[in-house]
Amino acid sequence: MKIPRSTFPRRALQAGVAALLASLAAAAAAKDYIVTACRPGTLVVIDAQERKVVHAHPLPNGSKGHGPGAIVISPDGKVAYVLHNHWETVSGIDIDSGQEVFRAELSAGSVRGKSFNGMDLSPDGKELAVYVVRNELLPGEYQPRDPHIAVFDTAAGVKAEPVRTLPAPRRVGNLLWAPSGKTLYAFGWEMLKLDPQTGAVQGMHPFRSWKRTGFGQADTLNFWPQHEQSGVFVSPYFVPRTDRKPDSPEAMKAGLWTLDLKTDKVAFKEFENASVVLFSSVVNPMKQHEVFTVFNQLTRTDMRSGKSERVDLDHSFYSVNMSSDGREVYIGGAQGEVAFYDAQSLKKLGAVQMPGGADQSASSLRVVRR
Amino acid sequence: MNRLKPLNKKAHQIDQAPDDDGVEKVVAMSASVVGCTTTFDPGWELDAFGGVAGLCQPMEADLYGCSDPCWWPAQVPDSMNSHRSWSEGVDSATLDWTKLQSVFPK
Repeated sequence: MKIPRSTFPRRALQAGVAALLASLAAAAAAKDYIVTACRPGTLVVIDAQERKVVHAHPLPNGSKGHGPGAIVISPDGKVAYVLHNHWETVSGIDIDSGQEVFRAELSAGSVRGKSFNGMDLSPDGKELAVYVVRNELLPGEYQPRDPHIAVFDTAAGVKAEPVRTLPAPRRVGNLLWAPSGKTLYAFGWEMLKLDPQTGAVQGMHPFRSWKRTGFGQADTLNFWPQHEQSGVFVSPYFVPRTDRKPDSPEAMKAGLWTLDLKTDKVAFKEFENASVVLFSSVVNPMKQHEVFTVFNQLTRTDMRSGKSERVDLDHSFYSVNMSSDGREVYIGGAQGEVAFYDAQSLKKLGAVQMPGGADQSASSLRVVRR
Repeated sequence: MNRLKPLNKKAHQIDQAPDDDGVEKVVAMSASVVGCTTTFDPGWELDAFGGVAGLCQPMEADLYGCSDPCWWPAQVPDSMNSHRSWSEGVDSATLDWTKLQSVFPK
């Protein structure tokens, strides 16, 4: 069809405005969904605004007596990659239909492979990196093999095999793919920077070998991936002071250690004398100086001033995440409840129970806007 | 070999090996595998501060958080490897902990 020259700009403008309005409408209609998992091998999707479970998908061919672990969401928000089956299998589950679209077995033959939750997708979603601890089961002996990072093509379907494996040290609990795609961070003893193609060590941010005058060796426990919105990894830690008497309240400090995955910048803050147990933390995507930490309490810490506020929780929670607007805090893990708290007042706003009250145990608590 | 009888587990494994390769895979004088974790992390009974406020509340909330990653295999069964079905059908430890049974070495 020939379009008269005089009407073309107007039509183009109209089409452009219509496309813009449609995209704004879609953005306005988008909602936060919490993706987690519970027993018995169930992927759970929660509408955060409605405070209700919208999907409870069974994980196929997995364990019914062991809780799922890490969850990673594809960049388009459609597929959840879940570690399950005694942490020997990763399944990619279509969030809407529950169909298994990807599956990788970490064990093969006499070699048993398990992941301790180190798992992440490349920024384009085309590759999945999984940290695998391996042992060969001989008739009368377990023979430890070197751990490695197995990289899978996410389009490989339900019989995925690694497209390559990368050498990796022991004790890695987090894999974090930098937004550039050029660095794969592996957090264990140290925060290693690996080449995602070869595994070559590009550098590191020290943690175990972190040395400061007046401080001893820092200690942390971190295998909860919950950095997807802020792009900032954060880990609570404890560190002894060597310049204080051992019975001094200041002899052990609690702090927060952050790594901006985009800029590769590390920041940290000791914000209090160690007085409560801290499990995992999340950075507010809208106020990146604010960090929320959970276990038996919910703590909000200002990374600039070091001031913090704290409320007791109804029971223990392992994991924490936030709404995309930074106004609500979501907490989960351990028991079968996801609770909602106001980010400013720290007052409880509500809770959603897992189907049957089933325990989430160590499964992730991820947020996707779609 | 017909006049020799195996007296311990290793010798039985050699005796039962299907071929020479199988015999080679039986490692003599190896330590038995105890537990599944490389952590030695006291804290089930007392928290890091010598009290109990830092333990999981209630303790049942932490039960599967300890058995799933095989964190404390002396206190809870190793459901990652050796007692894989221990908690099958008991999806809420807080509600149904009385249904969980003791386990014994296999």
